[in-house]
Amino acid sequence: MTVMVAVPDSPEGRTALSAAIDEARLRATDLVVLNLALGPLDLVGMPSDLDITVKERTGYADLADCVLAALDEHAGKVDVLVIGMKRRSPIGKALLGSLSQRLLLEVDVPVLAVKR
Amino acid sequence: MSHDTLRAGAAAPAHQRRMKLLTVVATFGGLLFGYDTGVINGALPYMTEDLGLTPVTEGVVTSSLLLGAALGALLGGRISDRRGRRTVILWLAVVFAVGTLICTFAPNVAVMVLGRVILGLAVGGASITVIAYLSEVSPAERRGRVVTQNELMIVSGQLLAFVCNAVLGGIWGEDGGVWRWMLVIATLPAVLLWIGMLAMPESPRWLASHGRFDEALGVLRQVREAQRAERELAEVKALAEEDRSARTAGWADLAVPWIRRIVVVGIAIAVMQQITGVNSIMYYGTQILTESGFDRDGALIANIANGVISVLATFVGIWLLGRVRRRPMLIVGQIGTFSALLLVGVFSSVLPEGPARATVVLALTVTFLAFQQGAISPVTWLMLAEIFPLKLRGFGMGVCGLTLWIVNFLVGLLFPILVSSMGISATFFLFAGLGVCAMLVARAIVPETKGRTLEQLETDFKQAGATA
Repeated sequence: MTVMVAVPDSPEGRTALSAAIDEARLRATDLVVLNLALGPLDLVGMPSDLDITVKERTGYADLADCVLAALDEHAGKVDVLVIGMKRRSPIGKALLGSLSQRLLLEVDVPVLAVKR
Repeated sequence: MSHDTLRAGAAAPAHQRRMKLLTVVATFGGLLFGYDTGVINGALPYMTEDLGLTPVTEGVVTSSLLLGAALGALLGGRISDRRGRRTVILWLAVVFAVGTLICTFAPNVAVMVLGRVILGLAVGGASITVIAYLSEVSPAERRGRVVTQNELMIVSGQLLAFVCNAVLGGIWGEDGGVWRWMLVIATLPAVLLWIGMLAMPESPRWLASHGRFDEALGVLRQVREAQRAERELAEVKALAEEDRSARTAGWADLAVPWIRRIVVVGIAIAVMQQITGVNSIMYYGTQILTESGFDRDGALIANIANGVISVLATFVGIWLLGRVRRRPMLIVGQIGTFSALLLVGVFSSVLPEGPARATVVLALTVTFLAFQQGAISPVTWLMLAEIFPLKLRGFGMGVCGLTLWIVNFLVGLLFPILVSSMGISATFFLFAGLGVCAMLVARAIVPETKGRTLEQLETDFKQAGATA
């Protein structure tokens, strides 16, 4: 079985990644890291005792679609999806769509949402 | 490259002749682009009389093409991803011809503007699709040259338009409606493009990206040596995959600070290329020269100098790109252009209208174009291709291309209005001022891209945020 983590290019992404590493250790499973950044993922300091696969985001402008597609690809194998959450002002909430909210509502596996 | 030396020897084999023919045919798209944007330059004075244009409608007729082009560039990319490069270029040839005919027979301003918008769709679509087609069928070692070759065809098309304008204006200038003949000539390369493309194959990379590998191999066998075709199929597959990942980014990615910084720099580079006012000279050169003291035939002939220098400077620019760093080349180009504009403004206000002023203004527009086409324009295209990391490339180039067309549109629309309301020298002072601002912005934010990897640039953009 697998822990999957969505890592956008932000501090929340790095928080989610370290939480996912702990979670994979705890469950003794492998870890699939979904790199949502446009650049390569910084792998320095990643533990060597875990079986880590990095999946790059290609062909999806929408981050939530990309995560949902990756979950479909690993259907039945993902124990938990780890995501980072950001505090948003009320105006920010009104103006911007929330990646976390879409995932919480649409994903059909348990979601671990980590706050910084 | 070993096959390059081979190539220099005996008569060119069939696949090379085919590749050459293909390049010539496809670059007719660039030639049409140049002709259709340049022809208005000489046609406008005659059109103004026939259709009763005011400075505002002059601006609208000229710039409506650019609005169409913005839309065409946007749609062209998407449709050619779906339907194929060759199919879209065939359609564009038809759109070119239809737009040209509507403009040629336009009885009034409204129909003329409609024709110009349709022509613009073709111009914008061609600007994207022809470059994609050529770079996808060219062998790897030639791929980098495709963009600059296309740029050369665009300025050649403008020169061709200026020459046709001068010849037609010189012979039939006294008869009414000579501008209609100037416009209709553009149907000829459109027909040639259409017939030529019928015989040309689809892009192998596009075929591969749609899983049609047998057909892709078939095309490669037409345009490469036999053993090389097999080897290249793997490369083409990899490149098709790379293209897919180049279309990853979207608006949501602008939430990331360093991505936003790169896109802002890209937009600034696009704006800086147009804000010099280069296209006010490419579109209104004849009128600028008439206002300075040439008679109409004289201005049409003198305007050819603008076309010739653009072509020569583009050659120099291509040569310079390989030898000089990008940033100094851009900044020197900007200093050259705004100095020339400043001097046009000065001499237009101190010299009386007449042969002396006309000659000085012509010398200065030629100087301006030498710096613009020899330094600023080539650096612009190359830098836009160099600054974006792969996954941002499709989105970044799209946004910058759109910006370029919109600024071009605004310059084309406002130039005649500005000249009629505040006079020619004040207008040139305004462009010189904008040029100074552009240079200061370039000094502050444009990174050096020559000889640096994308990873190095990426680190710079990330660190710029950490210190700011």
